[in-house]
Amino acid sequence: MTIALAELASCFEGVIPSIITTVAADGTPNISYLSHVVSVDNGHVALSNQFFSKTAANVRANPRAALLVVDALNGLQYRLDIAFKESLETGPLFERMAADLKAASLQISMGSVMRLRAIDVYRVLAIRKVRSPVMRAAPVPGMAGERLKGLGMLASALAEAEDLAVLLETTLASLRDEFGFRPAMILAYDAAREKLTTIASAGYRTSGIGSEVALGDGLIGTAALERRSLRINDMSRTRRFGGAIEASGSTRENHTRTISLPGLPDAMSQLVVPLVAQHQLKGVLVIESEKRLAFSPDDEVAMSILGRHLAMALSLVETDPPETPAARTVGGTGAPAAGPVFRVVHHPIDDSVFIGNEYIVRGVPGRLLMSFLRIYLREGRREFSNKEIRADATLRLPDFKDNLETRLLLLQRRLQEKHAPVQVERPARGRILLVVSGQPAINDAPED
Amino acid sequence: MLPKRSLVFLNKYYGYKERLKQDLARRRMTLDEELADFIESPVMIIIGTRNADYVPEIARGVGVEVDRATGTISLLMSAWQWPETAANLASGAPIAITLARPSDYVCYQLKGIVTAARPGAGDDEARAGRYIASITSVLGGLGLDTMLAEPWQTDRELLRINVAPGQVFLQTPGAQAGRLVAADP
Repeated sequence: MTIALAELASCFEGVIPSIITTVAADGTPNISYLSHVVSVDNGHVALSNQFFSKTAANVRANPRAALLVVDALNGLQYRLDIAFKESLETGPLFERMAADLKAASLQISMGSVMRLRAIDVYRVLAIRKVRSPVMRAAPVPGMAGERLKGLGMLASALAEAEDLAVLLETTLASLRDEFGFRPAMILAYDAAREKLTTIASAGYRTSGIGSEVALGDGLIGTAALERRSLRINDMSRTRRFGGAIEASGSTRENHTRTISLPGLPDAMSQLVVPLVAQHQLKGVLVIESEKRLAFSPDDEVAMSILGRHLAMALSLVETDPPETPAARTVGGTGAPAAGPVFRVVHHPIDDSVFIGNEYIVRGVPGRLLMSFLRIYLREGRREFSNKEIRADATLRLPDFKDNLETRLLLLQRRLQEKHAPVQVERPARGRILLVVSGQPAINDAPED
Repeated sequence: MLPKRSLVFLNKYYGYKERLKQDLARRRMTLDEELADFIESPVMIIIGTRNADYVPEIARGVGVEVDRATGTISLLMSAWQWPETAANLASGAPIAITLARPSDYVCYQLKGIVTAARPGAGDDEARAGRYIASITSVLGGLGLDTMLAEPWQTDRELLRINVAPGQVFLQTPGAQAGRLVAADP
């Protein structure tokens, strides 16, 4: 029975090392363990060539090689007859393999060590299954059909979502329902600060809404910086990706004004997909699993397609709707509410805001909250519009791609999580309603 | 008659080669016992051979012993599982063997000549069984699901292969990979 290279996908996950034998010009065999073998198409494989190895020298004299690969799902071995074809130092295949190698290096804290010099491409002449003393079930057939169906459902759900909150919730729910992917998180990119901020998550012990990752930092930051998906399928030897992952606690948050990135303590597999639309990085999608080999190459393709849809949808929800007629105003004015006084402390240095000693948020969402509260105290007004926010120079919104919806959602979620006496609601697209339980007393903290 | 400069060069060259030989012999003497112990510890054994047309083959071994008196090594391999390699083991055939410790990737590659290959006999089956059990236990201890390792090794149709090593290379990944650590003086 002829075996196709496409059937051996789980042999190329880098979980169990592949081994190659070559023959020198004088006829001496040489064996090498390989850090990275990828299947290029149905007729070729590529090996990383980080050093001037004996293997690389041998195949230039005698192109034939024997490659032993192991299926990481069932342990079955395959013997590939291959012949050296060419060495590549640039191009999409090289870039792809360099990124994979970098992801693998990030896992073992060797980010700068394993630089790829070149990749050697081999023609596959024959594939033989090595006799096994034990019976094994046949490999699971490709899931491409199922994935396509799941993507169809997800695309429909995204098309129905009218605002950012629904869009994100729908995405995370569909990832669980259609793909079984949970936990997952979505981070939005702030180009002005070169930071990614968690705006939605599901399946983690803490939501981590508001936690940040710097562009280029760890697996998430690298996927964002290089705008390519990164997939890791065996993290047993690894350190956790960018940003310290600790138990998120209010005490720590209040002290450092930073929120911990959500994370699965014993994650074995991770897939990080950049969200890009019109050449703009909008954010990243992260999915994790406690299982080895949880994400297949098909999954990576499916998530990359989803990533593009999601990025487009994120761009669209940032556009303001036509001005809402006054008739739709939800009683947004009136005397400030009675009730207990609560203290709101604003630190102008980073616009961080604390309510009753609890850290809420900082940066633009912090400025937005302070602006709403000051107007509320001054005029009794509780309803605001995106349009007026954008026109307000004191808020210092970036004038291009201001991500206003993302910032408002972040503020809304943080106030909800902290059960703050002031909450933000969205009665309609482009409208904001402040719900205040008590009487805010604002203190501007001295410069710290 | 060679010009004087060439003679100087040749003298230097042969002097260098002689010193290298002595150096390698000395290093071999000091490394032999340590190497023998390493080779006989639970390590992954890979066997590389080739046919008359220089087409390479690859196989896994299921046990190895060192004859400390002669410096030769003796390997066990399943001819049932690796028939193509079994066909390449005529006396005098070149062979490469890697021995890799799964816990820290310390790896040596021996290159030499097959001196004999015959069907396993006596307690070879028991030896292979002990090797398979010990390496499986090591892999399991490192977190590998041992179910995955079951298809890799078997004692069916054992072959005992005697090898006279000519060179030993350190093959641990890193800056020292490929360094010659011992050679036939």
